[in-house]
Amino acid sequence: MTELGGYAGKILSINLTKREAKTVDLDKSLAFQFLGGRGFNSKLLYEAVGPDTDPLGPENMLMFATGPLVGTMFPTASRFNISAKSPQTGILGDTNAGGHLASEIKFAGYDQIVLEGRSSSPVYVYVNDGEVEFKDATHMRGKDVYETDDIIKDDLGDRRVQTAIAGPAAENGVRFAGVFANLMRAASRTGMGTVMASKGVKALAVRGTGSIEVAHPRRFERLVDEIVVEIRNHEQYEGRRRMGTTRILLMANAMGFLPTRHYTAGSFEHAEEVSGERLAEEFNVKSRGCFACTIPCSRFYVVREGRFAGLYGEGPEYESQGSLTSRTGNRELELALKANDMCNRLGMDVLTVSECISWAMELYERGMLTREETDGLDLSWGNGEAMLTLIEKISMREGFGDILADGTKPAAMKLGKGMDLTMQVKGLDLIMADPRGLKGFGLGYAVASRGGDHLRSEPFLELNDDPKIGEEMFGVPEATLRLADKGKGKLISYFEDWNAVIDALEPCKNIMQNMEILTFDRASEVIEATTGMRMTPAEVRLVGARIVNIERAFNVREGIRRRDDSLPRRFREEPLEEGASSGTVFDQEPMLDEYYSERGWDLETGVPRRETLEGLGLSKVASELGRIE
Amino acid sequence: MKRIIVEAVECAGCRVCELACSYVHEGKFSPSLSRITVIKEDKHGLDYPLYCRQCQSCPPISTCPTGALSRTEGGTVAVDQEACIGCGSCVTACNYDAIKLDASSRPLICDLCGGEPECVRRCPTDALRYVESCVFTETLEDAFARLRMEWNIDD
Repeated sequence: MTELGGYAGKILSINLTKREAKTVDLDKSLAFQFLGGRGFNSKLLYEAVGPDTDPLGPENMLMFATGPLVGTMFPTASRFNISAKSPQTGILGDTNAGGHLASEIKFAGYDQIVLEGRSSSPVYVYVNDGEVEFKDATHMRGKDVYETDDIIKDDLGDRRVQTAIAGPAAENGVRFAGVFANLMRAASRTGMGTVMASKGVKALAVRGTGSIEVAHPRRFERLVDEIVVEIRNHEQYEGRRRMGTTRILLMANAMGFLPTRHYTAGSFEHAEEVSGERLAEEFNVKSRGCFACTIPCSRFYVVREGRFAGLYGEGPEYESQGSLTSRTGNRELELALKANDMCNRLGMDVLTVSECISWAMELYERGMLTREETDGLDLSWGNGEAMLTLIEKISMREGFGDILADGTKPAAMKLGKGMDLTMQVKGLDLIMADPRGLKGFGLGYAVASRGGDHLRSEPFLELNDDPKIGEEMFGVPEATLRLADKGKGKLISYFEDWNAVIDALEPCKNIMQNMEILTFDRASEVIEATTGMRMTPAEVRLVGARIVNIERAFNVREGIRRRDDSLPRRFREEPLEEGASSGTVFDQEPMLDEYYSERGWDLETGVPRRETLEGLGLSKVASELGRIE
Repeated sequence: MKRIIVEAVECAGCRVCELACSYVHEGKFSPSLSRITVIKEDKHGLDYPLYCRQCQSCPPISTCPTGALSRTEGGTVAVDQEACIGCGSCVTACNYDAIKLDASSRPLICDLCGGEPECVRRCPTDALRYVESCVFTETLEDAFARLRMEWNIDD
């Protein structure tokens, strides 16, 4: 047991081939350098998973890690990261979710659980405090996430056990299948469920009865009290409480960056009908929260009338709600709820599913895809029935669904067309914000270590569109103007470092970052009160930079270079025709130059320079990359 | 008499109450050591905290074989640690599943934090309230059944 507060103090390694489990004490210097969560995973991934590793082979490692704040009363501290080499992208795979799994892992005594090898028969892994059991899961094969959760809880005779489940899509080898906690907490980007299923593991089930103590209880309590008040008085509080992230759909629409009909437009004429406001007013019946949340922002909905009467569930969040409406041109909110529910039960990533569908719709509308090729499906914009059918077919790898089940980039290769129209970076599909209307976000997608995604940086300050903030923070007024190009390298480096720290400590990014609660200054105080580790705000930021750089090093070793840090051609060459983000394109190369300079990466290749890595204490990484170049 | 009451539809299941309770009583964060326990049914979006209702007639007090449980002046149930043999009969006797045992089989029972319950103070949705009330008899089963009926959920 380490004497640090906040941490559980142990790391659990499970070898599925040998059916062995071993526990090691958490190394204090690892905690100081990488803090936890995504930091622990990325460090181990760099050290233990090399370029020869097949993402679906037994040698890949699947890591669950959580952070030092989780298990305490620190507001929103509930999250975990799952990482492995990704079967969807072939590079660093990583995903994050909330709910009640992470805290249970801590109470069971662990900061990180690592699965390696492959079980010879289907199992679920039951971690019960110090005990690890490999339980038969033969009878769970093909069961959806909800059914599996029920079976496990009955099997163990414990309704309080927390589960992380791979659904049927994962078992069928869909490359963007997720791991689902609390039924609908989707850790679903980059195919971590697919990796879990490839290891013969249907689920991780965890029960813990231990406790977490903090280093300086009085200071910790004072910080918690301060932060709770700050959250309650924040201008975003009411909107988040009522709508979660779906509160931004109408704003994205008004600002002209709401991806519509596969990014052919930036606003959706039916936005009101599919808005967070409508979901809240007509369907939500109760709020739900992740562990230790003080907002809380999740919502349970019930559909009482119409053809989807009897449908109920939690969520969706903005990305899912927008993906299943404006992105495909679907104006029926209830159908989007149904589609989201199907993705949860089948265990797939909604963003990738909707990219597959909306990409196919664009090809169909352009006459590049015929009904013969789509198994007779009419893939006109907004055809909701076809969406539901395709979701099912993708999850079963059936017919046209089989072509889409590896993602759009492989699908374009198989079909020999449409590559130019795939909206992905490094094989990971883009999110619900058009980069022509948010240039910093766009740069974030281009360089993100897990591919085209916003959660590595999410520079929300662009939404304020206020040059004074850019001037104050970065000395460049344009840095925080959403349609400007200058200063974005500084903006994105800053936000990447910040988000990496949040992902390492594992509270909720929506609250701690978007609401500007856990700044580097505040994080320095919180880390000391919780763990006892003294770290200046500058040192806290260095942890973030260290995580970003080791992830880049992992990707460089996999062959990633500057040429891969690139947005789809549409965003670079075709301006939006209408709306508040029209008339401008994403001017990529100058922004990349600025970003690499800011990062200390080579301008030509995008590889971190030796002195940059050494300055972060990553000398071993520096010499390895030195040999590659 | 003042009691803790719960509005089931407001409980979001965040479990801040469990954390507040174990922290105040034990100085650490541990749902296993809290005197309040949230039961969650994710499929139906349901959450409900279990805790001592201070019933006038308290089966755990009357069934305790060693007389270790007694009523305090404030109306809560006190445990005489020396008399308690850790048999767990109080756990099964309670009509509201409000009692659990710690690792050394010691019953954990709400003491209302001496009149300022920390779980109520920290409840983010005000689902828990500490009010003047003569009786509060809703069970978890009652609450879940009521909400399922309101929402037309039958399975």
